[in-house]
Amino acid sequence: MRLSAFAWRSLSARPGRTLLTALGVALGVALVTGTLLTADAATRALSRAATDLYGEADLRVRAFNSGGLSEEAFVQIRTLPGVAIAAPVTERRLTISTLPGPDEQVFTLLTLGVDPASEAALGRPQMAAGSPLDTDHPHGALVSSSWAAEHGLGIGDELLLTGSAPDVPPIRIQGLLTDTGFGALSGGSVLVLARETLDTAFALPAPLAAVDVNAQDGREGEVEAGLERVLTEPFVLETVADATAAFERAQAGFSGIAFLLGLIALVAGGFLVANTLVMTLAERTREVGLLRAAGATGRQVRGLVLRQGVALGVIGASLGLVLGIGIGAILVRVLAVSRAAMVDALSLSPGVIVFAFVLGLVVTILAAWFPAAEAARVSPLEAVRPTSRSRGTLVSRLRLIVVLELGIVIAGLVLYPADRGEGPVISAILAVGLLVGLTAAAAFLLAPLGRLVGAPFERFFGAQGLLGRANLGRDRARTGLSVAALTIALAAVVTVGATAASARGTAERWVESILPGGHAIRLANPSPIDALQETIEATSGTLYASPIADFGVVASLDGVEKEMGVAGIDPTVWQDAGSLIVVSGERSSMFDRLRAGGAVVLPDAFAQASGLAVGDTLDVAVPGGVEATLEVAGVVAYSLPGRTGEGALLVSLEDARTIFGADLATLWAMVPQPMVSDAVYTEEVALKANQLAGEGLTAAGLADQLNGSLDRLLGLFDLLALVSVVIGAIGIVNTLTLGVTERAREIAVLRAHGMTVGQVQGMVVTEAAIMGTVGGLLAVTAGLAVTWLLVSLAPRDFAAGLVIPWPLVGAIILLGLGVAAAAGIYPARRASTGPLLANLKQFE
Amino acid sequence: MTAILEARDLVKRYPVGDTQVDALRGVSLTVESGEFLAIMGASGSGKSTLLHMLGGLDRPTSGEIVIDGVDISRLDDEHATLTRREKTGFVFQFFNLIPLLTVRENVALPFLIGGEPLGEHAGRVDELLELVGLTLKAEHRPNQLSAGEQQRVAVARALAHDPALLFADEPTGNLDYTTGGEILDLLWKSCAELSQTIVLVTHDARAAAYADRVLVVRDGQVLDEIALGRRPEHHPGALLERLAALGL
Repeated sequence: MRLSAFAWRSLSARPGRTLLTALGVALGVALVTGTLLTADAATRALSRAATDLYGEADLRVRAFNSGGLSEEAFVQIRTLPGVAIAAPVTERRLTISTLPGPDEQVFTLLTLGVDPASEAALGRPQMAAGSPLDTDHPHGALVSSSWAAEHGLGIGDELLLTGSAPDVPPIRIQGLLTDTGFGALSGGSVLVLARETLDTAFALPAPLAAVDVNAQDGREGEVEAGLERVLTEPFVLETVADATAAFERAQAGFSGIAFLLGLIALVAGGFLVANTLVMTLAERTREVGLLRAAGATGRQVRGLVLRQGVALGVIGASLGLVLGIGIGAILVRVLAVSRAAMVDALSLSPGVIVFAFVLGLVVTILAAWFPAAEAARVSPLEAVRPTSRSRGTLVSRLRLIVVLELGIVIAGLVLYPADRGEGPVISAILAVGLLVGLTAAAAFLLAPLGRLVGAPFERFFGAQGLLGRANLGRDRARTGLSVAALTIALAAVVTVGATAASARGTAERWVESILPGGHAIRLANPSPIDALQETIEATSGTLYASPIADFGVVASLDGVEKEMGVAGIDPTVWQDAGSLIVVSGERSSMFDRLRAGGAVVLPDAFAQASGLAVGDTLDVAVPGGVEATLEVAGVVAYSLPGRTGEGALLVSLEDARTIFGADLATLWAMVPQPMVSDAVYTEEVALKANQLAGEGLTAAGLADQLNGSLDRLLGLFDLLALVSVVIGAIGIVNTLTLGVTERAREIAVLRAHGMTVGQVQGMVVTEAAIMGTVGGLLAVTAGLAVTWLLVSLAPRDFAAGLVIPWPLVGAIILLGLGVAAAAGIYPARRASTGPLLANLKQFE
Repeated sequence: MTAILEARDLVKRYPVGDTQVDALRGVSLTVESGEFLAIMGASGSGKSTLLHMLGGLDRPTSGEIVIDGVDISRLDDEHATLTRREKTGFVFQFFNLIPLLTVRENVALPFLIGGEPLGEHAGRVDELLELVGLTLKAEHRPNQLSAGEQQRVAVARALAHDPALLFADEPTGNLDYTTGGEILDLLWKSCAELSQTIVLVTHDARAAAYADRVLVVRDGQVLDEIALGRRPEHHPGALLERLAALGL
């Protein structure tokens, strides 16, 4: 018989454990495979989203001003020599509802008005089902397929345009867009209509936001130059690359976080392999000693254990690939349905498959190295020794484990496809710190924490509690490793939850700080301030109705020009309402300077990026219009949404109107009179908004909207982290099974002294529960520490600081306890049903 | 004296491959309350099997065992366990202490298992520690004790809840001559001074000589019964002579 056959027999002697271990590796590999395949689908979707959005268009001429391009400008573009197709796209936000009835639904959608003929000529939009717009069906509409699915709508359903003229009939969904192209805009909350239909439905036509241009072959440059020459209105020229970049910004970080979670699962799987092989070795020490006595060299014995590792790796990784493809398919489906991230159909990328398989195998072999080295040191004397040999010091065993963890993470980084950005590198560095720290902490804190946690168990469960707690101290490295694997997985759940809570806290703070009075009306279009002032002020219960003039400028920063959104606000209203969180400058003087004119308040993100501080000046210009130099009056934590992710520059409303001629506003801040109830005022604002074809907003509602999309994404990450928890649980099954196998005689003695089957089972389950509770406590500590680190590293994204989600903290500790206790059931049964007499005679 | 243990016509049959092996073939015996009985025999004679049956660790294929008025031969596992907890104590060859518990906790283990508050039994535990001479090592862990001390803890543990019967399975088998003698003295003391009924299984004539009565087992049957009487000097001479006569 060859030694490799011996290795295989050793594994097959314990089919249950071998299968569980292979399953642990498989789950790790599956998670890596699934997340990478999903990230791959997301990457492909990103590139396709922009390509589909442009269709055959070469350029997008985007209006610089929120009022849009004029019809004259459109004619100039369309008639420019070299232009083959010019497709107009108008934009407005509309409140839409399903037909009245018990199931009536109301939505706010980005509504695009397009010319069906031009769209067809550009080969867009991409349809998932139904038919594109056509002139025969003027009231036909298109919505994104995933949005429709989410709201239970389909082809043939009718929708009403809130605030439209009384004689406008319902529009009818005649086609479903793919989730790329138009369907990817506004997170899928998009409605496409014929431009004419949109314009005739309302008193005011929607602004012409962009004209997409297809140039005749070879004449792209000429068209570009012609546009620069003939257009007198401010505009921005964009290409597919700009659209891709915009989509990428919206989806940044997904791949990195997903990979990190996959890596954590794989490390947990690696722990499992190491533990299983250590167990196999512990059970077979005498056998290994006999092999050594019979002349097998240390190297041969090491090879024997490594072969077992390879076998487990190949089985686990193969199974993992199959499971991973399934997980990938589920993830893609969940992402598509929830619209948490844009994804394409799942495609089995050979690169990802090979990567995940090799990573799984390498991790398993690395994990096997530790027990292999230990096996090589088994002396021939072990063959005749009645008790198991000493296992070395805790520190020496931990050292090997830490080396194993580092090896796994480094293997992940080395093998990880290079074109996926820096996110995984930072994630992996964090992961290393977390893994190493937690493993050491779990081993060293197990005894004191076990005593603490075990006290109530001891009190309520007597002998089971006392013995269960005491058993934790038998092999601190091994038990610590199992606890660490569970802890790491639970810590990932805590991190995801605490990050979400911190982001939520930040979102609420952001929305509250930029919405004086906590209420607002968002109009469908930028509309003249003077024409609406009286109407909006007449909203019942209103103290102030303060318009926010929005316009665009080009800011000059050290010779570099940057397009920025500007919001003109009434400093007095904002000051009185306590709005804006000032991070640099003095609050009252900031508002005084805004009132005095010629001043600008910067969002912190812009101030950081530009290096501007209070007292500095900023040159801005409206393309083709006025230029101004503004003095920085203050820096605020958050601003209104602008044209970049940094937020809008803030100037006084008076400056906006007198210097920049910005007389249009989309957003009106609504400050209620004191004593008017929030609920009543919310109703009044919504009523007024409906009359104006706009929507009523509240700070709480906006925060909910922001949090809703965040929750969908984080919910998905939670699911991934929970797979690691399952792997951790399998580790506990293995550790406890080994534990009860090793102390079979001791358990038999307890049984001889009158311990019942139930008591033995209770003892093992209690041991598991204490392990899980300790794991939960460590996980909460580690998860919150990592979140604090993340929050500290990105103060702008988490300005509210670390928000501790207490219910989650409690749930994680209970989850640790529950998962571990459930994992203890199998070893508990095994412990209680062992052959009493045979176990009593063990080693005799 | 009254019988604390009665076994009648015990048969234990094990399946080995396609055949059956009789480990016990119709053994009957009686143990009186306060008696020190030794069961002696060579390796494979069936003496340990007999002890396991008497102690309720295993069930006979046929026959009856009554401990303190309770027939344990047909009890299910749960009831057999509870009977062991209440009526028996065990001392094994390899001490089998719980390594992570202190000496005091090991002695108190029967109370722990019974879910009884340790505080209520602190006096009893102290008494037993004094009996076995380990008062000063009450807070030590088993790995801090010598082999003899560990076996003394095992004896104290077996006596903790004042069992009707104490079963000792080769209690000196893993000890040197002197230490083994100390353990046998301890067992004898518990019998003589505390009226503890003891059933000792051994292959060692010196150990068996501590007993009031010796049953010699061979091939699953009681070959002979040797009454020695209660003798403080435990001299094995008479026993050895009788064994020699039996050709052992």
